[in-house]
Amino acid sequence: MEQLWEYIKGMFVAPLSVEESMSQLLYLLSYDPQSPMTLAGGLFLLMFLVFGVGYLAVRGVAWLRTFYVTAFSLYFYYKLSGLYLLLLIAVALSDYTIGWCVAHHRRKGCSGSGWVALSVIINVSILTYFKAGNMVVGWLQSIYDSGVLEFEALVIPAGVSFFVFQSIAYVVDISRGKIEPLRRFTDYLFLLSFFPKMFLGPLVKASEFIPQIKASRLSVSRDDLGRAVTLIVGGLFKYAIIAKSLGVLFVVPAFAGQLGDGGGVAIMAILGFTLQIYCDFSGYSDLAVGVALLLGFRLPDNFNAPYKSATITEFWRRWHISLSTWLRDYLYISLGGNRRGAVRTYLNLIITMLLGGLWHGVGLTFLAWGALHGVALALHKLWMRIVPWAKATGEEMNLLLRLPSTILTFVVVAFGWLLFTAKDMAMVERVLSSIAYNTSFSDFIGLVESSMPALVIMALGYVMHFMPRRVDMAVQGAVTRVGFIGQWILVVAMIWGVMQCGAMLATIAAEGASLPMYAAF
Amino acid sequence: MKERDYMLRGFVLTLAVVVGVALFALIPPFELFGMHFAKVSLLEDIVGEEQVVEYSADIERLEHELATLEPCIEEVEAEQVEPLPSIRKEWIYEREGEAVRRVPRSEEVMPDMSLPIVAIEDFDTLEVSRFDRFVDKLASGEAARIAFLGDSFVEGDILTSDLRSELQQIFGGRGVGFVACDIPFATVRRTIRRTSSGWSAYSVMKPKSAPEELRDKFFVSGYLARGGAGARTQWSVTDAFETLDSVGRARIILLSEADSRVELSLSDTLRYEVELEADSRLREIYVEAPITDLAIKVVEGDVLCYGVSLEGDSGVMIDNFSVRSNNGHAIFGTGAHINRQIDELLGYDLVVLQYGLNIMQAERRNYSKYRDQLRDMIAYAERCFPNAAIMVMGVSDRWVRDTQGEGYKPIGTVDALSQYQRAAADSCGAAFWNTAEAMAALGGMPKFVANGWAAKDYTHINFRGGRALAEALAAAIRKPVYDLLAEREEMVRVEEERKAREAWAREQARIASIEAQMAAVAAIVDSLDMGEWSVVEQNGVEE
Repeated sequence: MEQLWEYIKGMFVAPLSVEESMSQLLYLLSYDPQSPMTLAGGLFLLMFLVFGVGYLAVRGVAWLRTFYVTAFSLYFYYKLSGLYLLLLIAVALSDYTIGWCVAHHRRKGCSGSGWVALSVIINVSILTYFKAGNMVVGWLQSIYDSGVLEFEALVIPAGVSFFVFQSIAYVVDISRGKIEPLRRFTDYLFLLSFFPKMFLGPLVKASEFIPQIKASRLSVSRDDLGRAVTLIVGGLFKYAIIAKSLGVLFVVPAFAGQLGDGGGVAIMAILGFTLQIYCDFSGYSDLAVGVALLLGFRLPDNFNAPYKSATITEFWRRWHISLSTWLRDYLYISLGGNRRGAVRTYLNLIITMLLGGLWHGVGLTFLAWGALHGVALALHKLWMRIVPWAKATGEEMNLLLRLPSTILTFVVVAFGWLLFTAKDMAMVERVLSSIAYNTSFSDFIGLVESSMPALVIMALGYVMHFMPRRVDMAVQGAVTRVGFIGQWILVVAMIWGVMQCGAMLATIAAEGASLPMYAAF
Repeated sequence: MKERDYMLRGFVLTLAVVVGVALFALIPPFELFGMHFAKVSLLEDIVGEEQVVEYSADIERLEHELATLEPCIEEVEAEQVEPLPSIRKEWIYEREGEAVRRVPRSEEVMPDMSLPIVAIEDFDTLEVSRFDRFVDKLASGEAARIAFLGDSFVEGDILTSDLRSELQQIFGGRGVGFVACDIPFATVRRTIRRTSSGWSAYSVMKPKSAPEELRDKFFVSGYLARGGAGARTQWSVTDAFETLDSVGRARIILLSEADSRVELSLSDTLRYEVELEADSRLREIYVEAPITDLAIKVVEGDVLCYGVSLEGDSGVMIDNFSVRSNNGHAIFGTGAHINRQIDELLGYDLVVLQYGLNIMQAERRNYSKYRDQLRDMIAYAERCFPNAAIMVMGVSDRWVRDTQGEGYKPIGTVDALSQYQRAAADSCGAAFWNTAEAMAALGGMPKFVANGWAAKDYTHINFRGGRALAEALAAAIRKPVYDLLAEREEMVRVEEERKAREAWAREQARIASIEAQMAAVAAIVDSLDMGEWSVVEQNGVEE
């Protein structure tokens, strides 16, 4: 008890001089590559609070609000990625200018396609530099392994893919006449850098987002607040508890063969990774959507229970929706989409997915992953053409058809995740052969003994995922109705759980990844 | 109807959440359903994260700094070094008695010769190397002090606690050695309990968090604490090891650049107030008393406290200076003048540099850059601790996950890094001990994990592994001491034998000379005509 009192005293009457506190604070506020700021961190929580005071004051005046949020977003990006901030501003400046040039040409009746090409070249070069650069560094390192020259890996700017994609989309939309170029540079910078979606999306469409930038007043309804709290609490649970603990406790050791080398372990590891990557990515996306909603901004949903899909086409309408929409609108359609005959359509689908695969990383496994999805999409399109009773989504099917379709789709997608996470094709081969020739029931019994907590977490995650949508809605409604105190308890309890989980995992894994998995792409 | 706006409520909720989360710091750790729930704190989550700072060596600046340094201790005579009175304050509560110098016997020091001993390689080219001097001190029963600079590998007194215990039991000595006053995050050491409050503590790894004027004042301990009135630290000894409970002496190292007053207390009952006049030099408060709990409290002024050394009257002292995620370069961030002054006060005979775990990478065999850094570290340490031998401890064995799915495999670059570390020691005339080789002799990392001596990450050893490794290192230290002692004992024996032989020869000579004299006397008697005399005598006898 006495110690507790000492501790409390120490907390509140810390005899820091003003100068000392300032230097501590300055240190905390400057960029530190070891601890980039994310939406799930404690520092963000505090900063968001400070940010909120100013936001409430300026929210009624659109230009002032944009200015304020942009400034905070740029700072957020600096805390996340340091001086790559300048790259972000440069991209914004370049495409803002190009956008005006394109619009100017359109008014004169020209297409301005040269300018669009310039924008695409600039943006794709940036992306390629960082994506392919590390591959080159890897080669050089292997060549000069014990030689005199040393090469350091490039640090990829956080969220570079996301702002580059959105910037391309902006210019293309102008050239297609869908939107008018933004008048103020800060508005465009805001569009690119808006902090909740900055890091991992969702990608926003300029045509949907610009009206919100210009809106004179943004408001949050009671339902919005309830939804935001649900998204944040659920997002934290998925991202910081399920995904993180599943990775450390189960997926990593299972793939490393520490839990046995039977096929059963491999199957469970794939199932685990399938859940982990969904929870990691969608959890962080939910956080982003929830935080934006607190500010009155509506971001598009990025995930919609993807493993419920009954067809691969449906999967891509439910998984990373904003990216697949982007790929459809700006890659698939630019390649000609489905307007150039059936064969070209299939080919375009496959090319789109191959490029999508390569975007994740230059390597055979990612190529195979893209090919799998491209071919599966093309096959499904073919199936739809030749089978009269074929359906595009599960909702149109009856249960008898839907259940096997869903299972088949899940198997294809899960196999895709194996390709996605494997280090090389040899590992894929090894995992598959152990599943084919070396699976026994005792593998599962062994896992029940060795990894019970992880299995419980996994079961919980899948049960949550396969809940009907009305359960989700009911939960959201309940969170809305419990009112302030209830919401407070929910959020605080979840944060406590997240911190406990972090503390427990830290004792198991020496270096826990503090960033979302998708940050690597 | 216009709908009510809930945006304000959203932010009020955020405020309430922040307050709620801040209160987590009040929930003590507890166990429930066999699960351990730690104490979590938002503030520590934000501030307490480790940042790695890259320092670089500037030996030129160091030379300059040391050249302009006023001596902390005025040398009165070569053998008798007494601190200036203003530097050292004393509180002699109960004299422990004169230091007893006890020369150990070789059989006490002899390591277990049946086990393989990985020897310490000494690259010093001096006629009597600094490492030899250290060995000599141990063999002569003189006090010897070791500074053990390391990373998280020895955090919490892993390895060093057992090394200390073993060496103290052989060579004498008590106490845990140097302990910081306060450090900016929570740690546990089973060899000492420390409760502190009211200090602002800083780490050399996060110099930016320290005020400008303190950044050149770090000691190799890595931490310093500044406190105004009310700041207090209590150190309590533990009985985790035989030689730790109740020590006779404590030496508190601090800096008070303004006039200040501190109060010391023993077991919360005996108090003693010390006036500290403003001085730019470090100073020592020397306490002599049976100590189980010692506390220091700042009553007035502004004090920079480095820590306390709890020690016995003689023998071996080992100071554990572990700084998490330090690759060794943090030594360049410590103040050379501070290190030198503390060296003058405490007197180091051996400085161990245990680093490299954070540097090592799989697939990387070229560590020439690190070797050069390590050379600078050795040079820096040599200049800060001019009387001490420097010993580089090689990187420990480490295994990594096999991506082919076969469990764990050796990282494969331990030898490469060890050789670069050895090369650095070689070119600087330092000593080197190959930790990985010693671990291999004990069965390597898989054996450590199987024995429960190391964490499942195949990287970090735990206390039990630390004990095994400490025994190996102690054996490596005992071996040369034993050799020296055996040699000396042999010399003594030979000398005694020679003396005995001489004495016997002298005796023989004496006997011979007596016999000779007697013979001479007999001859003289014979030469005189004394026949009657002898008849008379014969007769007399017969009567």
